[in-house]
Amino acid sequence: MTIIATTAIPGHLRGALTRWMTEPMPGLYVGTLSARVRTELWSAVAATINDGAALLLHPDDNEQGFTLHTAGQRRRTPIDLDGLTLIALNPSEPEPAADHPRGDPPA
Amino acid sequence: MSTSTPRNARQRLAAPTAAMLPRIGDSLSFLYIDIARIVQDDTGVTALVQLGDDIRRVALPTAALGCLLLGPGVSITTRALSTFARHGTTVICTGNAGVRCYIATTPDSLPTRWLETQARAWADDTTRTAVARRMYQRRFGDTAPADATISQLRGLEGQRMKALYRMLAEQNGVRPFKRSYAPDDWDAQDPVNRALSAANTCLYGITHAAINALGCTPGLGFVHTGTSHSFIYDIADLYKAQLTLPLAFTLHDSTDPDGQARRSFRDGLRLFRLLPRIVADIQTLLEPDDGTRQEDAQDATEELVDLWDPDFGRLAGGTNYGHQ
Repeated sequence: MTIIATTAIPGHLRGALTRWMTEPMPGLYVGTLSARVRTELWSAVAATINDGAALLLHPDDNEQGFTLHTAGQRRRTPIDLDGLTLIALNPSEPEPAADHPRGDPPA
Repeated sequence: MSTSTPRNARQRLAAPTAAMLPRIGDSLSFLYIDIARIVQDDTGVTALVQLGDDIRRVALPTAALGCLLLGPGVSITTRALSTFARHGTTVICTGNAGVRCYIATTPDSLPTRWLETQARAWADDTTRTAVARRMYQRRFGDTAPADATISQLRGLEGQRMKALYRMLAEQNGVRPFKRSYAPDDWDAQDPVNRALSAANTCLYGITHAAINALGCTPGLGFVHTGTSHSFIYDIADLYKAQLTLPLAFTLHDSTDPDGQARRSFRDGLRLFRLLPRIVADIQTLLEPDDGTRQEDAQDATEELVDLWDPDFGRLAGGTNYGHQ
């Protein structure tokens, strides 16, 4: 299974993606692609994305069970911590409030 | 917490029930972080790390982690720590030199079945010897003489480790090799020793997390004794020959032995299925005759508190026995 999630991408790219995959939610594409097709398609997506953002996600044989790639100006950055992939938020995203002054998080 | 009314979904998200947390065998093995500030914000636990020129925020998967290793240069807030505790993640501070100081955050209110089993087996010299013998035999396989005493087994184990070191050193062309653990002079050590100390630190952390998840105590060891980590050393020693030793010797010419050891170790753990294996091994060592081996300790049932009676064993709690 391959998942591509997108925000603010050009119309022609959205149309192109629907020719390979289904779009169950706006900007979210799901399909079953071979590794080769996936690589080709992703490189085309990454090259035509302008100032949008896109994410490629597919199952993989590692501890987390998946591998992800991101592209575009507004993307979040995957960072590798000794083989565990976590996501660094984009600096342009708003910061939530830090530690709660009182005991518990809002329940 | 067993409440009579089902808690609403939002409360369950804030304080997850056992059923919502991954069993220790399914969770991510470890995460090592250094030079970061870890805080709890409105929604979760975030690490602030330096990437290039700016500080970036990284959300940490607290509920999916077995253990968190904090390297040098980390500051963490109490709110973030208590979130880790609530999710049953064991938090461990490690120095750059692998100097360990543990904060054992145990999951909130675990069933004590395995703790009681461990305490019973440890408190009686006969059963304690039997468990220690099983630990040695697990390392030897069937090559150990069945009637060997513990001291003979200890001697055999010493010889076996010596031979293993010699063989690995020869295979990787690093003879003569001398194992040394020098936290105060970390950078001057050879890569093999550094890789071995780093990988062992991870192994101890993961073992500690598994022991915590079962509800056992790390302090009651069977082969080792006298420190509050005795049981961790007991269990970790079962896997060193297979996991950390061969790995460390392959890194004999590495420029970043510590980081590479952790990275390769993660793959080794996955192939070896270490976390589920530790849980099953502890259960088998403590109770070999139990045919119904549960996958791990975290039964997704509402746990009940029973009352103990010297004549009747366990009586149902939550009952008033005043009229008898």
